[in-house]
Amino acid sequence: MASALKLFYMAIWRNFLILTRYKANFLFEILTSVLIGGFMLLLSAAFDTTMLGQMVGSTNYVAFMIFGISFQSWQGTALWSAADTFRSELSSGQIDYTFSSPFSRYWYIVSNIAANAVQSTIFFIPMFCVGLWFTSDTLTVTGISLGLMATMLSIAALSQFGAIFAALVLQYRQVTAIFGFFNLAFQFLTGMFIPLQLLPMPLQVLGWCLPITFGMDMLRHYVMGTIPLMPVEYEWLALLLQLLAMSVMAKFVVVWLERNAKEQGLHYI
Amino acid sequence: MFAISCKGLVKEYKTQKLVRALDDITFDVAEGEIFGLLGPNGAGKTTLVKILATLLRPTQGSAEVGGHDIAKEEDMVRRVIGYAGQDSERSAYFRLTVRENLMYFSHALRDVPVKTAKERIESIVSAIGFEERLDKHFIALSGGEKQLVIVIRAIVHEPKVCFLDEPSRSLDPLTAKRVRGFLKSYASEKGMTICLTTHNMKEAEEICDRIAFINRGRLQFIGTPEEFKGVVTVKEVVEIANFEIDKVIEERLLAIQGVSNVTKSDGNIRIYCDDAFGVLKNVFDFLGDIGIKAHVSMIEPTLEDAFAVFVSNDSAEGK
Repeated sequence: MASALKLFYMAIWRNFLILTRYKANFLFEILTSVLIGGFMLLLSAAFDTTMLGQMVGSTNYVAFMIFGISFQSWQGTALWSAADTFRSELSSGQIDYTFSSPFSRYWYIVSNIAANAVQSTIFFIPMFCVGLWFTSDTLTVTGISLGLMATMLSIAALSQFGAIFAALVLQYRQVTAIFGFFNLAFQFLTGMFIPLQLLPMPLQVLGWCLPITFGMDMLRHYVMGTIPLMPVEYEWLALLLQLLAMSVMAKFVVVWLERNAKEQGLHYI
Repeated sequence: MFAISCKGLVKEYKTQKLVRALDDITFDVAEGEIFGLLGPNGAGKTTLVKILATLLRPTQGSAEVGGHDIAKEEDMVRRVIGYAGQDSERSAYFRLTVRENLMYFSHALRDVPVKTAKERIESIVSAIGFEERLDKHFIALSGGEKQLVIVIRAIVHEPKVCFLDEPSRSLDPLTAKRVRGFLKSYASEKGMTICLTTHNMKEAEEICDRIAFINRGRLQFIGTPEEFKGVVTVKEVVEIANFEIDKVIEERLLAIQGVSNVTKSDGNIRIYCDDAFGVLKNVFDFLGDIGIKAHVSMIEPTLEDAFAVFVSNDSAEGK
């Protein structure tokens, strides 16, 4: 049986070969990331950051935003890349070959997300570096390492949502609106662009249930020195528990949805 | 042990109304056998292959592939099968070369070690005469070449049982013949069982040890290609070349004494009978009556004739 590790590194190999064969597109993906960072730089003078300072303990809204946006590049990958792979395989007919092969569907999805996340890192790095440049006064190596570790854990937990979205594609074929809804909700409920403390309490509680919230909060805390939503030990624990619970749920949902999808066949009807 | 064993397979699709795509399919395929599934479009051949390849769930009945139950041991079944579906045009990575595609699928998804995969790919493509395409991007290949890549992908991990859904579709006649020859010798050398669907009677006759004829979801015949020809109770065929007929002419031809069936194929009319000499004069008279000059000849019935008569008889019964 093909191992998850093999599926992972072969998917990276496949992705990079394909990526570098669309050279102009590849170049512009990197340039876009740099461009957003540049615009943020220009916009930095336009914000009143007093309120932000009171709420999160840092007046550096530009860095706050940049880390949110760089996080978004991985969030999109974690949530959508596997579903996109399945959508493309469904329309091309490749899904039949894939699903007649012997490997765990769950690990195939997660390996593909991880391989795509490696690819997204290329676009994450320039943005992240701009963010680091804005926070040079609070920056430590430990801070960056812990921030990135929290990000990885958060993305791993979010990938479980991605696995569920991918399996939903098998069952419902077209799930772009479902994805769009959750993607947008995640952006506003997790403090990606505005501090979570600004939201009404019921929405804040909803935000705590999502792994991005703690991942992003800890990234900002460790890199920018912001005040965390709760003691960081609790945030680490919450992230680990979320990863565990979502992995179990994703495994179950993937098996269940594949089984249902096979009643009608794995193809666009 | 059989390589494939089906017992009472039924598949129903729930759309606006319940559609029964397969109805009580039972058959066995021996190890190492090349087994052909024949039938007209929509007969249920692809549905059957997809069920056996664990891509669809049967509504009723059971089946084993390579000794493993397709419902209870899906993963074990997937370890012993190869599969090439009909959607070959886009079902590999466009911007990877043929070699890279085959490496990815065989190593990542089928666990073939890199070195072994490389050797097998080289060996198969040289046997088929496809070496010069190996480093071309998949997107740059013709439809037939893409089809060939998909067939190679299905066998490169040397499965015990291989399902090929219309493997020679889009191949030119010469390549199709070469591929058929290769598949036959490859299956014999590796002890691989092949279950293929086809409309191509020549293909069925050339490589299948046995064939099953499916129409409207029902298994109507199972046996050797020779037996299939023999089941059709016609001994001779009169062909009228390049001749279009409507329903009225078809009925008048059927009314000629001794004619058991009339079919249309590639612009030609084939009249099935027991005594072609006896029928020939009446056919000439009839053509003269309606003022048509056409080339009429007597030919030996082929597997294609058996297929046409089977479908034609079944449609008549269905009505």
